Amino acid sequence: MSVMSEKDSSENLKEEASHEDENEQKPEELGSTESSEQGEQEHEPVPMTRKRPEPKPPSQPAATEKAPAETLKVSDSLAASQTGWGYWGSWGKSLLSTASATVATVGQGISNVIEKAETSLGIPSPSEISSETRDATEGSENPGDSSTDAVDDGTSFPIAGALGVLSTISTAVQSTGKSVISGGLDALEFIGKKTMDVIAEGDPGFKKTKGLMNRTSTLSQVLREAKEKEEQQTATEVTMATEKKAHYGLLFDEFQGLSHLEALEMLSRESESKVKLVLNALSGEELDTLKEEMEQLREAFSLAEFSEEEEEEKRGDEEFTKEVTELFSELHVSTKPDKLIMVRTSAREWIAQFNIDLSKEEEESEENRAESRDGDHDAKKSVEDIHAFAIRSLAELTAYSIEMFHKTAALFLHGQKKEVTATDRAKSLSQMTIVLCKELSTFSKEFTTCLTTAGVKEKADVLNPLITGVFLEASNSASYIQDAFQLLLPVLQISLIEARTELLQQ
Amino acid sequence: MPGVGAIGARCRHRPRRSPRKSPKAEPGPAGAAMDAAIWIYQFRLIVLGDSTVGKSCLLHRFTEGRFPGPLHSDPTVGVDFFSRLVEIEPGKRVKLQLWDTAGQERFRSITRSYYRNSVGGLLVFDITNRRSFEHVKDWLEEAKMHVQPFQIVFLLVGHKCDLVSQREVTREEAEKLSSDCGMKYIETSAKDATNVEESFTILTRDIYELVKKGEITIQDGWEGVKSGFVPNVVHSSEEAVKPRRQCIC
Repeated sequence: MSVMSEKDSSENLKEEASHEDENEQKPEELGSTESSEQGEQEHEPVPMTRKRPEPKPPSQPAATEKAPAETLKVSDSLAASQTGWGYWGSWGKSLLSTASATVATVGQGISNVIEKAETSLGIPSPSEISSETRDATEGSENPGDSSTDAVDDGTSFPIAGALGVLSTISTAVQSTGKSVISGGLDALEFIGKKTMDVIAEGDPGFKKTKGLMNRTSTLSQVLREAKEKEEQQTATEVTMATEKKAHYGLLFDEFQGLSHLEALEMLSRESESKVKLVLNALSGEELDTLKEEMEQLREAFSLAEFSEEEEEEKRGDEEFTKEVTELFSELHVSTKPDKLIMVRTSAREWIAQFNIDLSKEEEESEENRAESRDGDHDAKKSVEDIHAFAIRSLAELTAYSIEMFHKTAALFLHGQKKEVTATDRAKSLSQMTIVLCKELSTFSKEFTTCLTTAGVKEKADVLNPLITGVFLEASNSASYIQDAFQLLLPVLQISLIEARTELLQQ
Repeated sequence: MPGVGAIGARCRHRPRRSPRKSPKAEPGPAGAAMDAAIWIYQFRLIVLGDSTVGKSCLLHRFTEGRFPGPLHSDPTVGVDFFSRLVEIEPGKRVKLQLWDTAGQERFRSITRSYYRNSVGGLLVFDITNRRSFEHVKDWLEEAKMHVQPFQIVFLLVGHKCDLVSQREVTREEAEKLSSDCGMKYIETSAKDATNVEESFTILTRDIYELVKKGEITIQDGWEGVKSGFVPNVVHSSEEAVKPRRQCIC
């Protein structure tokens, strides 16, 4: 799949030399666009001055409306569709699929997707849920029988799959404590997988979403629209404070992720048109050599797949900081990824603190189990709190990652010249993208583990959407970061061209 | 000199029907909720001026209420972003999107591209740095060139007014320059939090008045002013958008 996306972009590059469509530009814009394009360096070119069209993709409502019908089909074939993360694109495996998934999710509205996922996971009617959960909780009081019961439920009635699995977790965690959590993780991943499948199945081959992506043209536009929708929702509904806290789009914007993404897009487009000008001006051997070099650069932009086992291995706390700092120093730019490291560290600490509190509580509740059951748990974090913090952290981490890419791009273009090749920089950045995506994946697992542990007594219809939401936003975050990374290609192409020109002049 | 600050230079007159009656009280539950998503307008403001005059510090003070201090004084790379809500009238809030530009010459090509989508700007100089004051006119010229076809409302800011003893620019000459260019003038200190709040509020109010009068209108494809989502006062945003179609310039 990654091969496909590469081809896509390379074709784009060649073709776009001649066409200008991209987005529906208004007449008055075209004037300024064209004139500045010819004006090359002096008047800063096209993308910078171009107005951003209002993002109103016409196809979107249709896509959303279609969704429910398709979920029915999906839920029927639930057992059969075992494609999982790998197929959907997981964390950086396929640029094409993640890019379109970005749109799929954002375009449909996150809550829609979650709902959709819930439906197709085979969540039974509310009455069924309550009876099931009652069973599960009742069962937990006498651990022996109930856990086996619950397991049976989960496997023998695939329609109630998710619920079955979850009640298994609840019971198991209650009865045997921590040892089961790793088993529980599989279940969570299963839920995550299903969510992704549902999204994928809703749009086979991502044709619609890909088309949508082309029409609306930029990621930041799509995201901005999603955010505005959320804003509208929040403003009209005036929902509870807890819900507001967990709007990914709003938070992402609050951390200036959208603005940095937009700024990065501007730099990227500006560079892209400059590259075109250079390529048009060259011919013969010169052109061939440059094209060859640019091909090498592009290769550095195809993200390597990272193996599942590697992902599994527990990474030390300092490793991320060390790795990111090292990779960043390889770029030879004058900024540091301090913000990114800071927010990542504080999220880590939060999770660690949560686990400490948890083990303390376990000790206590061993002694007075009966009391604590109906006693107040106010000190403890609610699942909503955990969810809100998880979404916030994901949004913050992603926003700062994109800020980092934006700053890096600005410095590549306007910083002091350094003794490092564009291709080497691309390799470091590509590695950085992978590190960031892995980190997001790890976070999603840890946050959902927190949710499962804290939500032992919650009903499935409360807990499931929260868990799905965290997986979904983490996966989206990874897509945004990968998309942002791709925006750096034209910027580094400029670096490459500049380095060549300097060499020739010597 | 008819500076860019000259307000309404290329004004878009529109029928004088909507301004006053638009945003009334904010009834219902919405008024009570201090929700970040509720604002009647969003203004994009740009902050300009020479390197090291303290633009970023001003913004940090305004948006986070803190003064970063000398340890965090890395020069801005390209452009940075901040945002904050400002209450201009009871219950009426404006969201400010603030673009903090790099003063360094090498980033000029980046910062230039941000003029066009701004409705207002703070033009900052350092009262202890004569050169930064002398460059104010250059900044205005540059803005004028790149803001077309829109207008931008500027406020001249004499920064670091806590350093009185090192003053190289008198208040009088700064005031003279500002009025020549059709701007207001204010002296601020991010360190002491002097007039920081005021400077942004003044600029926001001035823009708000122009929007109310219809001299600045919301336009498709221009990010300078946007109307927000206000429950129960939907008329305000609708009316603000509508007149544009009838506008004959």
